[in-house]
Amino acid sequence: MTHIAMPERREGPVDPMPKQPGPSEEGGGPKRPDTGSPEKDNLLKRMRKVDPKQAERYRQRTGE
Amino acid sequence: MLNRIFGLETEYGLLVHQDRPDHSPAWFAHKLRDHIFNVQRRGLLDLHHRGHDEPPGNGGFLTNAGRMYLDMGHLEYASPECNSLTDVVASDRAGDLVLQQAIDELGWADDLSLIKNNIDHETDATFGSHENYLVTRRFPFTRRGLGPLVTFLVTRQIFTGSGRVGSASPQDAWIQVDRLIVPRASLGHGSDRAPLPYQISQRADHIVNDFFEWVQQNRAIVNTRDEPLADPNQYRRIHLLLGDSNMAEYATALKLGTTGLVLQLIEEGHAPRDLDLNEPVESLQEISQDQDRQWLVQLQSGKTISAIDIQEQFLAAAQTHCRGQDEETDWVLNQWEAVLRDLRGDYTKLVGRIDWASKLWLLESYREAEQAGWQDPMLKSLDLEYHNLNQGKSLYYGLLEEGRVPRLITDSAVAIAADHAPKNTRAFGRGELVKHLLAGGSPSEPDEPRPDERFFPAYVINWSIFQVRGRAPFPMPDPFRTYVQDVRSHLQGVTT
Repeated sequence: MTHIAMPERREGPVDPMPKQPGPSEEGGGPKRPDTGSPEKDNLLKRMRKVDPKQAERYRQRTGE
Repeated sequence: MLNRIFGLETEYGLLVHQDRPDHSPAWFAHKLRDHIFNVQRRGLLDLHHRGHDEPPGNGGFLTNAGRMYLDMGHLEYASPECNSLTDVVASDRAGDLVLQQAIDELGWADDLSLIKNNIDHETDATFGSHENYLVTRRFPFTRRGLGPLVTFLVTRQIFTGSGRVGSASPQDAWIQVDRLIVPRASLGHGSDRAPLPYQISQRADHIVNDFFEWVQQNRAIVNTRDEPLADPNQYRRIHLLLGDSNMAEYATALKLGTTGLVLQLIEEGHAPRDLDLNEPVESLQEISQDQDRQWLVQLQSGKTISAIDIQEQFLAAAQTHCRGQDEETDWVLNQWEAVLRDLRGDYTKLVGRIDWASKLWLLESYREAEQAGWQDPMLKSLDLEYHNLNQGKSLYYGLLEEGRVPRLITDSAVAIAADHAPKNTRAFGRGELVKHLLAGGSPSEPDEPRPDERFFPAYVINWSIFQVRGRAPFPMPDPFRTYVQDVRSHLQGVTT
């Protein structure tokens, strides 16, 4: 897991949040996606499991 | 960040994974709320009417001092008041955690998903992610004073948008022109729209006004309702409803951090001038829908400029006037600069940090692998799945699992934020109150109540005041104070 350095919260509850490792001066961020990688295969596997009809089933009311 | 209180309100969509579900989404939402309050005992349900649509029992405050409730059929979570970006990101994620844990405990993980997005592709329904920023009462809350904020908000979507497949139909909206309320269609706006493959913002299509006080219709770039939830002589709450719900912690922090700094620039008179947009609402939609990602807008001066160039002017002002004031400010400035630089190049550099880029890359990967066109209905379903809170299914969490998403906080910090309030704001005092009452400290029904107590519930808790039966009201008008010692003293002797 990639961590980007962010200041600790000033008065965290119970145990303070740990100092995150890793530089952020270059914008941090993940490695650039490439094609044909095992990671991409895993993501495609996850995507293929999605129910193609779920957007039709997702009937929401307008909120706010 | 310096002198800023942040808060986020999130409305969740609810997806039932059955062709013919036995129960409606609203039924599931009620059961989830009841589980959180009555079984998990994470908070106290309200005993009083909070408003015409919030009867007793509709929702309540949690031990982390945030609120969970039902609003217009949606489960909604409002974070506690936070004084740092780290806290607000953790508190926001805490709401996701509380809800997903309730689904898991009820054994519904295969039947039900909570979707942290803002649109229904099929019906054009929209629901919000609202941001709250406390500013001083001296903030120039006028059309002229808010000009730089509008320009910033319209253009920040290039890094705050969550992206969506397609577009919403033109909105049937009424807008304010001078002192008249007129139908937007009468002005010739938004009538012709070609089908879009993808756009960078979920909410842009649903924002039809620059300033307005309502939240359900005529959604505006700046909501003008004056409800500070604090001492109105000292504070104003800037309430924004144009933003998307972000899955990436990085995007959430950058959205709140950059907006907080721009509010500071405006408060201190250092915001860039001469950047007023000619047509802010149209610009908001045009930027979101620009398939070439040139993101050009026209200023009132007649000049054409890109959203990145505008953002760089705000960044330059913040570098000059805010750099060095605290660690979080410097983090925001560094990341703001990095993201704007990366936005000038290949969007895939932003995968993991910026939600619209992550989602677009996933969809393009799928399209390439499956030879799918943009009209394939599967893409809308994948769009939803990006926002699923279920970590085993969600495409966002899939990216995270593959090491493509930077984290700003740890899972343990999120778990702590689900149970405990930040210790440096008013939320601390409210969290102590909720914990005290949950532990059996609710005042019992008096045998012989005074006339004024006869119909008073055991407790009434609101953001800036509470009262337990038999005690004087306890105002908490200053969100920067914890009130914790005073709350503890006030509650001494309040037991069942």
